[in-house]
Amino acid sequence: MEPIELDGSQGEGGGQILRSALSLSMITGKPFVIERIRARRARPGLLRQHITAVLAAAEISQAQLSGAELGSSTLRFQPGPVRGGEYRFAIGSAGSCTLVLQTLLPALWFADAPSRVSIRGGTHNQAAPTADFLIHSWLPLMRRMGVHDTLTLLRHGFYPAGGGEIEACIEPVGALRPLVLDAPGELVSMQARVLLAGVAGDVARRELGRLRERLGPLEGRIEALPACEGPGNVLSVERTHAGLSLLFTAIGTKGVSAEKVADQASEAVLRHARSGAAVEEYLADQLVLPMALAGGGRFSTSTLSSHLRTQCAVIGRFLGVDFTFTPMQGVVVVGVGELAG
Amino acid sequence: MKRTVVIGFLGTQLDYAGKGSARWEKWRPSVALCQQEDFIVHRLELLHDARSRGLAERIRLDIASVSPETQVLSVERELRDPWDFEEVYTLLHDFARDYPFDTDKEDYLIHITTGTHVAQICWFLLAEARYLPARLLQTSPPGKKDIEPKFSAGRYAIIDLDLSRYDQIARRFAREHSDNVSLLKSGIATRNAGFNRMIERIEKVAGHSKAPVLLVGPTGAGKSFLARRVYELKRQRQRLTGRFIEVNCATLRGDSAMSSLFGHVRGAFTGAQTERPGLLRAADGGLLFLDEIGELGLDEQAMLLKAIEEKRFFPFGADREVESDFQLIAGTHRNLRLWVAEGRFREDLFARINLWTFELPGLAQRPEDIEPNLDFELERHAREQGQQVRFNLEARRRYLAFATSGEARWSGNFRELGASVTRLATLSHAGRINEADVEEEIALLRQTWHTPSARDLVAELLGEQADALDPFDRHQLDFVIDTCRRASHLSEAGRKLFAVSRQNKRQPNDADRLRKYLARFGLSFERIHEMTPQERV
Repeated sequence: MEPIELDGSQGEGGGQILRSALSLSMITGKPFVIERIRARRARPGLLRQHITAVLAAAEISQAQLSGAELGSSTLRFQPGPVRGGEYRFAIGSAGSCTLVLQTLLPALWFADAPSRVSIRGGTHNQAAPTADFLIHSWLPLMRRMGVHDTLTLLRHGFYPAGGGEIEACIEPVGALRPLVLDAPGELVSMQARVLLAGVAGDVARRELGRLRERLGPLEGRIEALPACEGPGNVLSVERTHAGLSLLFTAIGTKGVSAEKVADQASEAVLRHARSGAAVEEYLADQLVLPMALAGGGRFSTSTLSSHLRTQCAVIGRFLGVDFTFTPMQGVVVVGVGELAG
Repeated sequence: MKRTVVIGFLGTQLDYAGKGSARWEKWRPSVALCQQEDFIVHRLELLHDARSRGLAERIRLDIASVSPETQVLSVERELRDPWDFEEVYTLLHDFARDYPFDTDKEDYLIHITTGTHVAQICWFLLAEARYLPARLLQTSPPGKKDIEPKFSAGRYAIIDLDLSRYDQIARRFAREHSDNVSLLKSGIATRNAGFNRMIERIEKVAGHSKAPVLLVGPTGAGKSFLARRVYELKRQRQRLTGRFIEVNCATLRGDSAMSSLFGHVRGAFTGAQTERPGLLRAADGGLLFLDEIGELGLDEQAMLLKAIEEKRFFPFGADREVESDFQLIAGTHRNLRLWVAEGRFREDLFARINLWTFELPGLAQRPEDIEPNLDFELERHAREQGQQVRFNLEARRRYLAFATSGEARWSGNFRELGASVTRLATLSHAGRINEADVEEEIALLRQTWHTPSARDLVAELLGEQADALDPFDRHQLDFVIDTCRRASHLSEAGRKLFAVSRQNKRQPNDADRLRKYLARFGLSFERIHEMTPQERV
C-alpha cells in the first residue's frame, strides 16, 4: 500500500500532526511517511517525547519504522494489526503521559482484545492535556459515544520531577456513536481545585483568592499531595454543565506568581463563558478524531485554532471525512462527516 | 544507531541539593544532562567515592524518574584529594585503560561540568591524547531568559577536540595555511605540482618541527631564498625570535672556518686579538642556513653535530662551552649519501640533518613555473629600480617559448632567470622589451649553455703547473677562480671570498688579500677574465 504523505511543517507544525497520524494509521492500517517534521521549530525534527509516542504506537501495532531517531525530519510508519493486552511505558518527565495515551487509546478501541496500559512520567505538564482533563472532561463524552474505558491517575507527575502514573483500561468497541454538542447546557456548578505538592499552602490560598476576585464566589478545594511527588502546583476550574464538564487549567511554574497563575485560569474561563460555545479550545482538539471515527458529530467552540484545523486536515487524509467550520454568533460550529454542513 | 554513553564525576557540590522536593528547583548537571529534549543518555557512568554513595543513589533514582531511557551505573573509586593533579590523572588514566570501550556500538562523551578543575584538565588531556575515545560534553544552567519550563534543564554542548570539524576554525586554519604557503612561495603562483606539494610539506614541517631541514638542489634553485622564507614564516608565528644567519660553507676554509662558525676566544690563535662569537651563537634563537654544507670540513662537521644535538659547543680555544639554540637549515647540491660513502661527509651528521629532506627541482624541471617567475622578476625589477618594464606581446611569447623549450638548460636556475630578466629590463627601450631584445638575449643564453660545463679552470690557466699542486690547494684555487669569474671586479670577488672574516675588520682589505693569493700562482683577476670566457650568471 502506498503510504500517505504528510508535511510535518504544515499548520501548527508540531507534534500533534505526528500523534494524530500515528492513531489514524493504526486504526486504518494505512502506512504513512511524514517529512519536514517540525521543520519550522527552533529545534526541528523528532524530540524525545515524539519518539516515545512513536515507539509506543509501534509496540501496540507491531509497526515497521524508519527514521525514529532524535532530530530525524522524516519518519516512515507501517502498522500491523493492533493487539490488545498489557502494556507499560515509561517516559521522561519532559514528555506527558497524556499525549502518549491520547495517541494509543483510539487505536486500542478497535483492537482484538481489551487492554490495560500503564504509563509513567508527567501527568500534569505545560502544553499538554492534564490527566484530570482527560478523566473529567474528555472521557465522559467518549462514554457517550460508546467507549467503555476507565482512566485512573495513580500518582501525580509534575515537571521536572516526573514519576507520575496513569492506568487506562480499554474495552474494544464495535463502532462509535455520533455526538452533538451544540450548546453547553445549563451550568450546574463551578468548582476550583488546587493541587499542591511540596509547595507552600500559601500559594493555594493566594490562587483561590485571586480566582474569586475574578470569577466571583466559588467553591475551592485544596488537595495537598505528598511533598515527595513535587514540586508541583496546578490550578483548575471545572464548570459542570447539564450535558458536559469543562476543565480550565493553569500550571504553577517557578518564577510565575500565584496571582498570575490564577489570572491565566480565570481568563480562560471568562473567555469561554462569554462566547457561549459548548466546547472550549482544547477539548475541541480531542473531539474531532472520535467524531470522524463515528462517521459524524458536531459541536460549537469558541475559537478555531490552528491545532484544530491541522487535526482535521490530517484526519481527512486518512478517513476521507469532511469537516465544516461555520461561524455563528460568536462561536464556530464544527461539523464532522454526515453532520457536516 | 549508536548508544550514547556519558562518563562523568558525580558533582558533590553541583549535584547536591538535599533530599526535599526543592531539589528539583536547583539545576543539577548530572540530572539535567538526562533531561534534554533532543539528547538521550543511554548509560551514565557516574564516578564518585565511598563518601558520596548516598548522593549517587539519590541522583540515580531522580534520573530514573526523568529519563527512564537512562541506565545509571555507579563507579566507585578511592579519591583522597580531587585537587591533586597526579592522583586524579592516575585514577582517570587507569579508568580509561580498563574501560571496555566499544566504539562501534557506543558513542562516548565525557561530562566535564562536574568534578574539580583538576578533573576537567585531566579529562581534557586524556581525550586529547585519545586515551579516551570520547568527545567532551558540557552542560550549563538555564539563563535568565530561559523562563519557560522546557528550558529549566539548561543547555548542553558537545565539544569535539578534532578542530577540523568546526567550519569557522577549519576556515581559519585553511586561510592561515594558504597565507603561509603563499609566503613560502613569495607570492609566486607556481604551477608545478611537485613543487607545490613540497611547499605544502615544508609549511607543515615549519609549523610543527624545530628539527633540521635539508634542502637539496642545484645552485640557483632557490635554497637560500626558501630558507629565508621559512625563517620569516617562523618569526611571524612567534616560533623564532632570533636572527636569520646565512653562510655558504664553501667560503669557509681552514682555521677561519672553525672560528667563523663557532667563534673564538681572545688569543686563541695568532691574530685572535678579540673574542669573536661566531655564526652559531649569532643564530641563537633564530635560524642558521648553512648552504653547501657538503663543503664543510670534517672537523667542523663534528663540531656542528655536537652543537645541533646538545645545543652547546666549545668556541675555538675556549675551555668553557657556550649555548646556542637555533633552527638549522642546510643546503647542498651534492649527493651527500655518496659523499658519506666516500668518507667525505660524516655519516652521523648526515643522519641528523636528513630528517626533513626536500629536493628543489631546477628551473628546467619546472617549465610551467617559468612564467609566474618571469612576472615575479619583472615586478622585483620594477620595485628595486623604480621602473616598470613590460614585454611586447610577441616578445613575451617568444621568450617564454624559448625559456620553456628543451633547449633552455637554465643551468643557473632561478638566479640565471633573474639575471636574464635584469639584462632584458636594463636594455629595454622606454620600458618595453621588444622582439629584437629577446632574440639577442636568447642568443646570449644559448651561447652560455653551449660552453662546456665541467671545465678544469685551474688547468686552463696554469697548464702543466697545475699538476704540481696539492689537491688541497688545487681545490681551493678552483673555487677562487670560479668566484672571480662570476664577479665583475676584484673587490666583489674579495668580498665574497672573505665574507666572514671581513666582518671583524675595521678596514677590510679583501681585494688586497685576494690579489696576493692569486699572485702566488702567477694569476690576476684580469688574467682570469681574459683567459676564461665570461659566463655571467
